[in-house]
Amino acid sequence: MVTTEPIIRCHSLEKHYERGGEPVRVLESIDIDIARGEFVALMGPSGSGKTTLLNLFAGIDTPSGGSLVVDGHDIATLSRAALAHWRSRSVGYIFQLYHLVPVLTAYENVELPLFLHGLSGAQRHARVAEALEAVQIADRYSHYPRQLSGGQEQRVAIARAIVGNPSLLLADEPTGDLDRAAATGVMDLLARLHRERGQTIVMVTHDPHTAERAQRIIHLEKGRLVEPLGAAR
Amino acid sequence: MSDSSFTPIPLFYAARNIGRSPLRLVLTASGAALVVFLVVGAMASVRALDAGVRASGTLGNVMIVGAGSEESVERSEIPASAPGVLAASIKGIRTTAGAVYISPELHTPLPLYREGDPAPEGSARSLALVRGVEPAAFLVHPQARLAAGRIPEVGADEVAVGRSLAATLRIADGDVERNGDRPRVLIDEHPHTVTGIIDAPGVAIDGEAWMPITDLLVLTKRQTISAAIVSLDGAELGDVEAFAARRSDLEVAAIDERAYYEQLAQFFRPVRLLIALSAFVVSVGAMFGGLNALDASFASRSREIAMLQVLGFSRTAVIGSLMQESVLAVATGALPAVLLARLVLDGVGVRFSMGIFSLSVDATCVASGLGAGLMLGLVGCLPPAIRCLRSSIPVALKADLV
Ligand SMILES: Nc1ncnc2c1ncn2[C@@H]1O[C@H](COP(=O)(O)OP(=O)(O)OP(=O)(O)O)[C@@H](O)[C@H]1O
Ligand SMILES: [Mg+2]
Repeated sequence: MVTTEPIIRCHSLEKHYERGGEPVRVLESIDIDIARGEFVALMGPSGSGKTTLLNLFAGIDTPSGGSLVVDGHDIATLSRAALAHWRSRSVGYIFQLYHLVPVLTAYENVELPLFLHGLSGAQRHARVAEALEAVQIADRYSHYPRQLSGGQEQRVAIARAIVGNPSLLLADEPTGDLDRAAATGVMDLLARLHRERGQTIVMVTHDPHTAERAQRIIHLEKGRLVEPLGAAR
Repeated sequence: MSDSSFTPIPLFYAARNIGRSPLRLVLTASGAALVVFLVVGAMASVRALDAGVRASGTLGNVMIVGAGSEESVERSEIPASAPGVLAASIKGIRTTAGAVYISPELHTPLPLYREGDPAPEGSARSLALVRGVEPAAFLVHPQARLAAGRIPEVGADEVAVGRSLAATLRIADGDVERNGDRPRVLIDEHPHTVTGIIDAPGVAIDGEAWMPITDLLVLTKRQTISAAIVSLDGAELGDVEAFAARRSDLEVAAIDERAYYEQLAQFFRPVRLLIALSAFVVSVGAMFGGLNALDASFASRSREIAMLQVLGFSRTAVIGSLMQESVLAVATGALPAVLLARLVLDGVGVRFSMGIFSLSVDATCVASGLGAGLMLGLVGCLPPAIRCLRSSIPVALKADLV
């Protein structure tokens, strides 16, 4: 295992929402450390708070209590603009529904976040080519999302997430919308990114089979961490 | 590490997005086109009216009108003898080679249309200002120049028409030069032969018909004339005013011709306001149509807008890109609209109660049209853009597609 400072360190993390004047406790006293280079799966029933936790890790939602330090940054203390800037350097986010821009080609979709890095056109090109190569979709540069299969779209989305060399890759049910074969392909890809690049990955999934690909599985239930039934793997 | 909070989203993102839904683009663009066309049209009309009215006065000219009718020559009546009395009483009236610059005139709006054409419905639309004149009219009104044909002869039921009136009557230069086969018009239902075309670009005369004053007196069964226009050379307004006061039996007043038309331009302020207001009202309608489409196009993209923020683009960058997109969409309508306005409206004669002025779609009009389009694009995209950005990123990511 990697022995350096954990990339994610959360302590007594809380997230509440207001609904009809009543506070809804979505996450309660979460304590997790995730090490650099770790591949973690986040499991739990629908509504247990998996997406909420992932969004907190990504700095697109703010904690209601407790502490959350990601890649050396105390998420609760950063301004919205600072979070956005930090995200552009440190976080790659993969969505269940890909969220590619339909009017941009695969290449342009992957290039988009690089405009935040102040690179030259040639530097961007090299990075995009490398990312598309890594997701094995280099022959689909000029295809638009509608000309790609779901599995290919997700590969392009993964290329977009890794093109900025983020320290943390977050994925919310990345195979949730794919058939078995495409899902296996995407999981092979994530496993390879983890293995070959030492990429830290936190992935939400419903599917135990998919979760098996991770090194560690964290279970959430009603906003709390739980020991899985028949634990101690 | 550079600060990415001011890094804009590249322009190609906005440029591609305008083509995302052709129907919405067409709606936005046509709304914008209508607004811009109206703004250019209203602007050109207001300016033509204003410039036309103002340019109709000549420096150094004094008008003798009926006392109490200083505000409208058309309502004014003075004795036909007044110009002669004036010429004899005042020194310092301009002369050239024995010709005295005094023009007795009769101004009256009369129904006027081409013989053989069906009588237009509603008299207002076919009224033209008919001016009874003597040859001296061309001396005191240097804006007017006989461009084709000849001056109408006395007692021959002849008339000369201004260039823009000629255009509405479909009379060309060549027509009035064809001896024996000249075009004929009905003035107050009396046939007249058109013998000449008068050029008076941009001023009221361009939309008028000129005929011998004695003929017009007979036609209108009047004994009094409307006014006498005098060009001064040495004398001053005060001298003519003193004359008017001295000869109270004539019941005339003297006014500076430029001041008269200035005041007339003031009088037209409500008209200008009306033009601007109607353009505005129709614009607002068109604008809402266009903006509605823009709004729908942004609302359907709230997930994508959230995704851009997840990538690390700031809200400022997102608003900037949506503004670019909206301005581009508006421009696809605004630019053709300005071109069309120039092609269609430039040089068109617009009939106001005091004559016909030709519209000039000049740089100012084009600039105001484009400015209106730009404002529309910038301001119009703000409400939907702000609405898109108001929800938090996690909520927007889950938003249902509209
Ligand atoms: N903006 C919000 N306002 C109020 N409640 C919210 C909000 N976002 C999430 N919740 C609530 O928080 C709880 C957890 O939501 P979350 O999306 O994290 O669940 P999840 O584990 O990802 O579920 P799924 O597997 O269905 O995606 C749910 O009960 C949800 O209703
Ligand atoms: Mg979820």
